[in-house]
Amino acid sequence: MDDQISVRIEVPAEMILLRPLDHFVRIFLGQLPEFSSRDDLINDLELAFDEAFTNIQRHAYTSEKKGPVSIEIKVGSGSLEFKFEDRGQSFDPSSVQAPNLDKPSEGGLGIWLIRQVMDEYLYHSEADGRNVLRLIKHFPRGAGNSP
Amino acid sequence: MEIQERDGITIITTDERLDAVVAPQLKDAVNKLAERSETKLVIDLEKTRFIDSSGCGALVASLRALIKSNGDMKIANPSPQAKTLFQLTRLHRVFEIFDDLEGAVESFTAS
Repeated sequence: MDDQISVRIEVPAEMILLRPLDHFVRIFLGQLPEFSSRDDLINDLELAFDEAFTNIQRHAYTSEKKGPVSIEIKVGSGSLEFKFEDRGQSFDPSSVQAPNLDKPSEGGLGIWLIRQVMDEYLYHSEADGRNVLRLIKHFPRGAGNSP
Repeated sequence: MEIQERDGITIITTDERLDAVVAPQLKDAVNKLAERSETKLVIDLEKTRFIDSSGCGALVASLRALIKSNGDMKIANPSPQAKTLFQLTRLHRVFEIFDDLEGAVESFTAS
C-alpha cells in the first residue's frame, strides 16, 4: 500500500457506538479521491464495517462481559483494510454455515454478507487472547473516476 | 420510526438507518400490531438510506408475524443500498416491494 493513510481508534464494544462509527467510516471514505464518486462501494464498506462491529459487540462480548475493540482503517492506492481486535470470545469462522437464501431467517447473514462485499476475510486468535479480524477490499487504481 | 394508520392499513416509516440499534423496536412494534389484528402493514423506507443484516432480520420477522396473523407486509421506497441488499440476500423474492408508498398502500385495496 503506497501513500497509505491509516486511522486507529479503540472504543468499548457498545451498540451505542455503532452509528457514530459507521458515520465516521462513511464520511472518512467519502473524503478520499478513490471513493468520491463510488456510493455503491462506500455502501458495501459501511455494511462490512457495521456487521463486523455488531458481531463483536454481540458475540465476542456479552452483556455480562464487555470489553474494548481496537479498530484500524488503512487505505492504500489499491486496497482498503478494516482491522478489528477484541479480547472477547473467539470463534471459528469456518464453522459458520452459509445461510439458505431460499429459506430466509431472522439471523445468520452477517458474516456471509461481509464475505460477499469484501475480497478477504481473515480471522485468527493470538496467544495473548486477542482476536484479530482483517477485512480487505481491493479496488482498481483511479476508482474515483469510475461512474 | 413513525407509525400511522390510513384506511385500515398501518404505515411504519423507518428512520435513516434500519440496523441492529433499531431492529428490536421494529419487531416489537409489528408484534403489537399483530396482537391487535392490525395486520395490513406497509414499511416505508423513504427516509432509510442504510439497512444491515439485523434490519433484514427484523423485516423477515415482521413479515412472518403478520402472515401468521393472516396479514401481509409490503415494502415501499427502498434506497439503492436497500435494493442491492435485498437482491444479494434474495429477499426481493420474499418481500413485495414498491417504488412508492401509494403503490404499496393501493396493493392492499386491490387484493
